[in-house]
Amino acid sequence: MGLVKTVFSGVGALLLCVLWMPAGGAFAHDEMPDMTRRQQGILTGMPFMAHVSSRSFVDDMGRKIYLAKAPARIVSLAPSVTETLFAIGAGSQVVGVTQFCDFPPEAAQKPTVGYANPNVESLVALQPDLIIAPQQFLKFDLLGKLEQLKIPVFILADRSVEDIFSHIQTLGRMLDRSTEAVALGMDLRQEIARLKARTQGQPPVRVLYVLNSQPLITVGPGSFIDQLIGLAGGVNIAAKSAMPYPRLSMEVVLQEDPEVLVFPIGKAEGISESEQQAWRQWTTLTAVKQGRLRQIPADLLNRPGPRIGKGLELLADLLHPSPPSSAATGERP
Amino acid sequence: MANGQATPTPLSAASSPAAPSIGAAASSDMRGQWQRTGALLTSRRWGLILSGLLIASLGMVTLCSRFGAASVPLGDMFQALMHALTTGEWDQASIGTSGVILLQVRLPRVLMGFLVGGSLAAVGVTLQALLRNPLADPYVLGVSSGAALGAAVTMLLGIGTTMALLPVLPLCGFAGGLLTLVVIYRLAQSQGRLPIHSLVLAGVILNAILTALIMFITSIMEPNRSAGLMAWLMGSLIAPGYPALAVLAGYAVFVLAIVMQKAQMLNVLTLGEETARSLGIDTERVKKQLFVLTALLTGAVVSVSGMIGFVGMVVPHAVRLVIGSDHRLLLPASVLVGGMFLVVADTIARTLFAPAEMPVGIVTALIGGPFFLYLLLWRKDRML
Repeated sequence: MGLVKTVFSGVGALLLCVLWMPAGGAFAHDEMPDMTRRQQGILTGMPFMAHVSSRSFVDDMGRKIYLAKAPARIVSLAPSVTETLFAIGAGSQVVGVTQFCDFPPEAAQKPTVGYANPNVESLVALQPDLIIAPQQFLKFDLLGKLEQLKIPVFILADRSVEDIFSHIQTLGRMLDRSTEAVALGMDLRQEIARLKARTQGQPPVRVLYVLNSQPLITVGPGSFIDQLIGLAGGVNIAAKSAMPYPRLSMEVVLQEDPEVLVFPIGKAEGISESEQQAWRQWTTLTAVKQGRLRQIPADLLNRPGPRIGKGLELLADLLHPSPPSSAATGERP
Repeated sequence: MANGQATPTPLSAASSPAAPSIGAAASSDMRGQWQRTGALLTSRRWGLILSGLLIASLGMVTLCSRFGAASVPLGDMFQALMHALTTGEWDQASIGTSGVILLQVRLPRVLMGFLVGGSLAAVGVTLQALLRNPLADPYVLGVSSGAALGAAVTMLLGIGTTMALLPVLPLCGFAGGLLTLVVIYRLAQSQGRLPIHSLVLAGVILNAILTALIMFITSIMEPNRSAGLMAWLMGSLIAPGYPALAVLAGYAVFVLAIVMQKAQMLNVLTLGEETARSLGIDTERVKKQLFVLTALLTGAVVSVSGMIGFVGMVVPHAVRLVIGSDHRLLLPASVLVGGMFLVVADTIARTLFAPAEMPVGIVTALIGGPFFLYLLLWRKDRML
């Protein structure tokens, strides 16, 4: 049986891991998916987290890496990760970024390695002791190659606002910058709580977030942007969708009748002005009638990083313009 | 259609000289057998099949307009339709949300699905006969990739969406298709002739180059934006509104009418170019005309709907299995069946996971494939 064989080789791998542990160094403990390891834990009677030390980290794909000391050469494969690293004061340890990492400005000075298709050679040439990558656009063959080269890869999946907080804490622990990470997390939480309190009492506003206009792609449950809309006092009209990033039917948009259309704008990932104007053809939409077609910088809201607080504040301002009494005038730029 | 009358097909014409020697009785026997198996095209059969398909198409368009991601009560639908028809007021304020959903979102989309499906099937039929290759489909010419590249560049640069009532995306797509057509034509042409093999080769190679350029564009775009581009490329039937729809419809009907007039020549061309030439057909002229016409239609279709696979290749085969391979019937029947097929597939794509939509290309392959295999098992003898 394949399973039995896997289990036995798994036991071997685990034993090896335990034996090797004191030797230290940074390596990926195993390459097996979460489920298999859990089964091994059950079948062998070995507790699942048996050898978790304070320097072991489990990423969002259930892979475990052990880092003897804080990594000194980090490559970030997502703008949000870069922003987080700089925000907790680890900017100097960052040796490589993606071509879309433009914040803070210092990040743009770092060598780039590509985004969805990073170049393995330039990655290796940077001699990283840790690569932090988003799950969304990471290719499996790249991951396999990096594991083969013994370069630890830590994968982050941002499905909720809570994920963003936990990633800040994890990266803080990993880089011996817990103090900064905790402070950053606290600031963010306070900011979100303040905005939530501000929008709480007000009537919820129906929102359509136009991630892509042609064809229409928006955010649904299971994406952190959907949660941010809720926190900003809005109701996402794609809430009934089963997917985090659905291609939404125009019929549903007309039926659900959003009061505000929110377009991300920016040089690399924004919706162009003319695509925004094309929405004005749907004159039965309340948002069009009231002229509430609103823009938000894409890098503030689309990036699950430390600036979501700012993005959330802008979103809340769009949905509930202060003072609250003038909510329906829609004259804000 | 004048050439749809009871003239015997070239196939039966070629074999008919043998018939008188066997005797009148045997001849009528054979004629009866041909009629039963569908090898002989009579005006009655032509009329019956096409009117049947036409009625089925109308029914299908009506039926599919009933379904959508938003549930609109039948009464509201009828009311909006009557209001629009009787008062002539089509503006969104007077027909209400239900009216807008039905008349400005769903109906144009269903109609465009029909147009696109029909055009793809017609191009497929024509190319399979012209290139004498059962694997030919509208995308084999490379013109489709040119159109897709034009659209991709538009999205990359974020150029506007409308220009003089017509959406920019299809216009740029069509321009890309036209440019590719010119290049392929010049590449394939030699000494005033247009050899089939160099046409196919030029098309395939250019297709590969253009596809690589599209991939290049998706790889340099910000991932969120390239996801949008990929979604468009995978086929998206979103009607751009009635003016654009009317332009496409007029264009498709014009091209189809010309191709339909050449149906008899397609019949002869399937016998081989030598035979066709010996039967007095100016094969070079017909080939060039048909190539340019089908390429233009493909470019137009791709630039409004992306690359919807499967329809153009398999619908012609399926129709041929059922009604035979006389192009005078096969061509119009494929247009109607292709249209219906894409309308049904798109209805499934837009309702199955409502409020989200699926790329329609997935549905065309997933429901069309098994159905075609079933036909193949049922009528295996016809494939031989």
